[in-house]
Amino acid sequence: MKREPAQRLDPRAKTLWRITNLLGMLPLLLGAIAVGFALFRIVEMPLPVAALPVVVVLALIVLAVGVMPGLRWRRWRYEIRPEEVDLQRGVYWVSRTLVPLARIQHVDTRQGPLQRRFGLSTVVFYTAAGPNQIPELSAPIAAEVRDRISELTREQDEL
Amino acid sequence: MHPVGMLIDAVRTVRRWIGALVIPGIAFLASQGFGGRTLALVLLGFVVISVLAAVWGVLRWRATTYGVSGGAFHLRRGVIQKSERTIPLERVQSVDTVQGVIQRVFGVVEVRIETAGGGGDEPEASLSALGVEAAETLRREIQGSSGEGFRPDTGDEVEPGPEVIRSLSTRDLFIAGATSGQIGVALSLIAVASQTLDDLFSDSFVERIVTTLAPRSISSAILLALAVALFAWLLAIGGTVLSYAGFTLSREGDYLYIRRGLLERREATIPLARIQAVKVVEGVLRQPFGLAMLRVESAGYGKDAGVSTTLFPLLPREEAREILSRAAPEFAVEPPLQKLPRRALRRYVFRAALPVLFLVPVLVLISAVALDSVSGAFLALLLLAPAVLLGWLRYRDAGWALTGERLVVRSRFVARVTTVATRRRLQSRSVVRSPFQRRLGLATLRAQVASGGGGKDVEVVDLAEEAARAIVERLGPRTAAPGPQG
Repeated sequence: MKREPAQRLDPRAKTLWRITNLLGMLPLLLGAIAVGFALFRIVEMPLPVAALPVVVVLALIVLAVGVMPGLRWRRWRYEIRPEEVDLQRGVYWVSRTLVPLARIQHVDTRQGPLQRRFGLSTVVFYTAAGPNQIPELSAPIAAEVRDRISELTREQDEL
Repeated sequence: MHPVGMLIDAVRTVRRWIGALVIPGIAFLASQGFGGRTLALVLLGFVVISVLAAVWGVLRWRATTYGVSGGAFHLRRGVIQKSERTIPLERVQSVDTVQGVIQRVFGVVEVRIETAGGGGDEPEASLSALGVEAAETLRREIQGSSGEGFRPDTGDEVEPGPEVIRSLSTRDLFIAGATSGQIGVALSLIAVASQTLDDLFSDSFVERIVTTLAPRSISSAILLALAVALFAWLLAIGGTVLSYAGFTLSREGDYLYIRRGLLERREATIPLARIQAVKVVEGVLRQPFGLAMLRVESAGYGKDAGVSTTLFPLLPREEAREILSRAAPEFAVEPPLQKLPRRALRRYVFRAALPVLFLVPVLVLISAVALDSVSGAFLALLLLAPAVLLGWLRYRDAGWALTGERLVVRSRFVARVTTVATRRRLQSRSVVRSPFQRRLGLATLRAQVASGGGGKDVEVVDLAEEAARAIVERLGPRTAAPGPQG
């Protein structure tokens, strides 16, 4: 297999992921606070025991907000080669995926509300087996990648 | 459309209404008692519904027209809201015919037209009653196939037409049912049915049955269990007979035809060009007898994935290759497989044992609390042995091979499955590694093929990392000699 793919995602992705992960963890934190409160007030457990769920969730939040986005960003790489799209991603399970351009049916770019704030955008390309993504590229680069994939796909089709 | 369409539409409407009304109807009857007047009222309701349905059927039949012109199939229908659908012929995925009981009586067929992008449960266009001749003409117009057609009627299999590759004998049909492994499904069906019966019948009735049937001793309990299992087994056989009776696989040019069904006759078309992968499935009950089932993954063929992708329900394992070489020659290979490295064995055993290992503390806890002993631990150990055995079997049966353009992968979850996929049909290839795999120099190879509306993974877990990378590389696009693209 060839060398690692060359391109990285936009560095602003890390901040965006921190925010989305934090937002994702908030309900869990609220739940933990409720449970802790119930343990302390209703079951009347000692404070250190009652605080345990909250502490655990806080540790998870530190992991999800402080550590994971950095690791994820460092791993995420992509490259659009003349015949294939090369993707590398995953913090625990590191996966390297090759998608032949000839199999790609169409390409989209997408932008969620938070992404718009950061000027980031996601490229989604579809094969007959489903979608693949390159997330968090700066909007102009995403547009470029989208156009390049669709152009190369057309070339491959004409062969 | 054939005039019988009126009747079929009407019957369907009635069936739908009755389905919706049966429970309120019964409730009404139960609350009013079974007096002559209420009964008459219910009958009257039934007659009114039938008449309305008949009128509706006639109107719908009059409104439905179809035709092929200008390279597209046109379907006009709708009584109140008119609709017209146009399907370009090159988008048509398959033209299937179904013959329900009523349709068989009148010698008509239902034609279903599916497109590649369709998805969902409903076919893109369906004509509920066409004469056999008309259906055949329509199919030929749509698929543009020359030569003789395939007649979805009874008794004239000997007519010239597609070459029959194999039909399922009655003996094999029953063997297929007996070894189908659908006993579990049937058992759960019985459980559900008994629940519903509980709800339906009054308490005293159930009580009486239970007291007459109640196991008085352990032996009668075992007898009861055996009886239920036997019943489930018979149900499984019955289900198989219903759906697979008369299973015939034939081929004409670039199309495979599959015909099956005892009461409801179905005929499905699979264009060879749409086949993404072929699977040889050896169920645990079948493998000891050298029997297997053939399945295909084909693109854009979403609805009832279970049966529509069965290429042949039961055949001796050794004959699989011969059948495939006639039905789908691209996939007819049986190369010697590369085994996994020895260091993968402990990962396989560990993975299989993991659920049991989770269960151990639970069982120990339960037995400690409930029985005041840790005898649960022994039960857990008893479960561990088969889990380890399964892990070992999975390791032993796993393997892969690359021959020319084809990737062959064998794996076992419970049944042993050999998958053949061609390079041109692979939508993506991945190498995935967890930290544990990295330490052992192992990786998981995952190739995606299109199937139905989405994708299916073909996986080899824990092969040597270099091997995985080499496979991914070799299955890449060939820039020098580009083949026709899928």
